[in-house]
Amino acid sequence: MNTTSINFEPFVEWDNSPFILFTNMGKIRYLNNAAEILFGYVSKKELYDIAVAYAPQNFGYKMTSLSLNYDSFSFHAITVGYENEEEISLRLYNTPRIKSSQKLDKNKLITTDINILLEANISLFKTKNSNQLTLLADQDLPSFKIDQNNFSKILRKSLDSFRASDSINITLKLLIGEHVILEDKKISIIQLSIEANGRYNDTDSEIEMLCTQSQIKSILQEHTIKLEIPLI
Amino acid sequence: METFFTTSEKIQHIIKSFNLTKTLFVSSIIIGDAHTGKRALARYLFPDAVVVSGTNQEEVKLALDTYDELIITDFEKLTNPIECSFDNKRIIATANYIANTSIIDELFAFIYKIPTLVERPDDITYLKNIFIQEALQTLMIDTVPKDIENITLDLSQNSKSLKKSIYTYLTKHSMDEKDIEDILYNYLLSHLDGNDGYREYLGLFEKPLIEAGLKKYGSQLQLSQVLGINRNTLRKKIHEHHIN
Repeated sequence: MNTTSINFEPFVEWDNSPFILFTNMGKIRYLNNAAEILFGYVSKKELYDIAVAYAPQNFGYKMTSLSLNYDSFSFHAITVGYENEEEISLRLYNTPRIKSSQKLDKNKLITTDINILLEANISLFKTKNSNQLTLLADQDLPSFKIDQNNFSKILRKSLDSFRASDSINITLKLLIGEHVILEDKKISIIQLSIEANGRYNDTDSEIEMLCTQSQIKSILQEHTIKLEIPLI
Repeated sequence: METFFTTSEKIQHIIKSFNLTKTLFVSSIIIGDAHTGKRALARYLFPDAVVVSGTNQEEVKLALDTYDELIITDFEKLTNPIECSFDNKRIIATANYIANTSIIDELFAFIYKIPTLVERPDDITYLKNIFIQEALQTLMIDTVPKDIENITLDLSQNSKSLKKSIYTYLTKHSMDEKDIEDILYNYLLSHLDGNDGYREYLGLFEKPLIEAGLKKYGSQLQLSQVLGINRNTLRKKIHEHHIN
């Protein structure tokens, strides 16, 4: 089969895994759509350094298994390749999302204004702490179905992990253009982000467990907690 | 209808949080020392909710099967709290202390801690005035004692001991001679025995007499004149009753 006549660029362009072609000076010669989104969370230099560090000794391609995490992006392997001295390519492989075996218990889901639950939890937090706290929430978010009790526990534990932080910034917004598939339905995502100069991670496993029960994706980092909540 | 007053910032945050979640189906618990107002707060916020006590596990179980909104008092006394299912229910529990942290953490979404009265000085003033008015009415006292502001308040058991100290103070300060005689009569009736009763119980009269006299007249010389007794006799009695 003669493949030389096939233009592979659109396939790379629309591939879900980020692909970047650097010049030998670290400039970007080409990047696909997925890589473009990724560059919102990681610098060009960081990825170029990775490409150089994991490059094969001679011309050719080398795949390395490693774990890379940038915000909600998670990669389990990379392929670095070069066929000449002028350019080097880096492809990052998305870590497959493990499909939750947890079934949504629809009896527990009640249509809720998430802003109310969030404000109530902030009030609870304020009964125990005096940290400065700012909230930037989209008040027009539609009500959606959620297990109110379980979600309140997630909020309580998430906020408590910032109990010793100087100032806490909370944002609540709709992730435009991002969706999750739940029970074969395409569902929008609301993102709650809590950020401060540091946090305790003693209850991370509990937060993760509660999130799994509610089909919420939790991204727990050193300074940030991000919850991606399906707008059911 | 139950009323609840507070100027405590902490409790105002609790009230705000409760007001926000009033229509939601979440489980909340208020934890704090006895007589800090937990139950009153729950009744004030949820006047229509059925109230059951954790001292009776079966009653709680039955109420959980019957009602969607429930106040459970004395939650720490439930013999088997983990058996409770709060799914899609509005539960407001109160407890004097946390018997098992992990169970509370698992069962409740909102865990509030109510401060003691000592930590709420403005609330003490408010409650003191309420209790004084109540006591004046209950004890049918028409004239308010002049030094009412100087009541020594006992806050060791929060509102319970505060209330008691006010009632005791007002009772003591509103008695007439006949009441005092009656009290002494009843006391002596139940305590008098032995073979030195006169000397032993005379102090009940002599000690307050000398203490009040010294406070009022300042010097022993002046008091001995007022009492019409010899100065040396007075000094002897001061020593005998260990009066400073």
